[in-house]
Amino acid sequence: MKKNQKTPKKEQFIDSLKLPKDVCLGALRVTLTGNAEAWIENYKGILEYTENVILLQGKTCQVCFEGNRLSIDYYTNEDMKISGTIACVRYL
Amino acid sequence: MIGILRYLRGYLRIRVWGFSPERFMNLCSNRDILLWDIVRDGDAYYMSISLSSFYKLRPIVKKTGTRVAILQRYGLPFFIPTLKHRKVFLVGSVLAVLFWVWSSLYIWDIDLEGNYQITEDAFNEFLMAENVRIGMQQSELNIEELEKAIRRKFPQVTWTSAKLSGTRLQIDIKENDAPITVEETKKAEGTNLVAEYNGIVVSMIVRSGIPMVAIGDTVEEGTVLVEGLVPIYNDDTTIREYQLVEADADIVIEHMRTETITLPFNYVKKKYTGRTRSRFFLRVGDKEWRMPMERPFLVYDSVIRQSRPLIFERLSIPAYWGSYTYREYQNVEYEYSLEEAETLLNENLTIFLSTLEEKGVQIIEKDVRIDTSGGEWMLYGEFLVQERVGRSVDTTIPDIGESETNE
Repeated sequence: MKKNQKTPKKEQFIDSLKLPKDVCLGALRVTLTGNAEAWIENYKGILEYTENVILLQGKTCQVCFEGNRLSIDYYTNEDMKISGTIACVRYL
Repeated sequence: MIGILRYLRGYLRIRVWGFSPERFMNLCSNRDILLWDIVRDGDAYYMSISLSSFYKLRPIVKKTGTRVAILQRYGLPFFIPTLKHRKVFLVGSVLAVLFWVWSSLYIWDIDLEGNYQITEDAFNEFLMAENVRIGMQQSELNIEELEKAIRRKFPQVTWTSAKLSGTRLQIDIKENDAPITVEETKKAEGTNLVAEYNGIVVSMIVRSGIPMVAIGDTVEEGTVLVEGLVPIYNDDTTIREYQLVEADADIVIEHMRTETITLPFNYVKKKYTGRTRSRFFLRVGDKEWRMPMERPFLVYDSVIRQSRPLIFERLSIPAYWGSYTYREYQNVEYEYSLEEAETLLNENLTIFLSTLEEKGVQIIEKDVRIDTSGGEWMLYGEFLVQERVGRSVDTTIPDIGESETNE
């Protein structure tokens, strides 16, 4: 109960100061261009990588890209780019 | 750009397989090792990694229990060692660079801009005389001296600038637009105005001097119209002395002018037979190589087409190519028809009349006829014109006048 109250307060605080949420809350940031490219920032690491599924670990959640012929164009500490045919983006 | 940097630093295509390749990738990103073009094929992952990062992989590989194999090497660090086996290539490229540096010490092109009156040929001759030529060393050229020489040689050049841009000598000049005025020597003596034609005086405005004729008078060639000798009288109306002035007046005389324009019956014109032959040539500097060819036709003229490829122009290399086209012709004699002759004669007449008008001559009457009696076409014109006259002639104080004043 306490925890549930705390999160909105923090969000309210960040909102009032107009701070970027992705930086302060450590949220995943996913930019999609059509269904062919995706840029992801603020992740912790790769959990699974096959041709059809890429599962990434974020700070608070996991995100799963499903599709065909998925490949990682580049992979650094800050961001990564996925290309291929993306069929579905799911948060777990 | 990124591709070039990667090439310069060298990179590898590697294959990663084993226990946990995902962990391998996460550790790589944690240690700021950039991976790109990651593709999965079956159990193995293929990816690219820079050469310097590759040496840091050993602890990661140990930790994650994966194995890494190099598939392909790319970039300059891998290319340079192979040059050791290609010594001739290396020597060739070094020589090419040396030749490039050496040839940039010379002038390969001279560019002249801003000339209107001075022809390019005249300027080139001047440059030859100054020993400025294509192929000279840049160190031999004294730009300031050249600029001075240009101004000395061509007085109409008001401004000049020569500069070297690369291997090109660029000369900009500015010519004086106004005509060059020659200062007239002031005459101390007075002058008379005399008539140049026989005719009748129509109008007269005298500014200085004593008029000797009046409007309506008939004058002959050589008659003094205005005298530049102004007498100064004593009280008893005797002449004390003469004052010399330059006679100045606008005097218009009406007189007859005749003009004959002739045109021969026949004329010779080139008639091209349509047969042409071309001969190609290549020119580098002053040297020219032509394709060997015998005398193409008995009678011919030639057209030269010359062009310089853009790359040579940009690089200021004096290499040209082009062709001589020889066109055969025959000299054919034609006869003017009446209409042709009339148009040609009339054209000449119009030119003559317009030159008269430019001189400010008014044409009052004209009488023109065309005649063939003299064995050629002849246009005979009589024009009644009103024309400004007055030629300055020096005058001196008459002896009598002087002796009178002396007494």
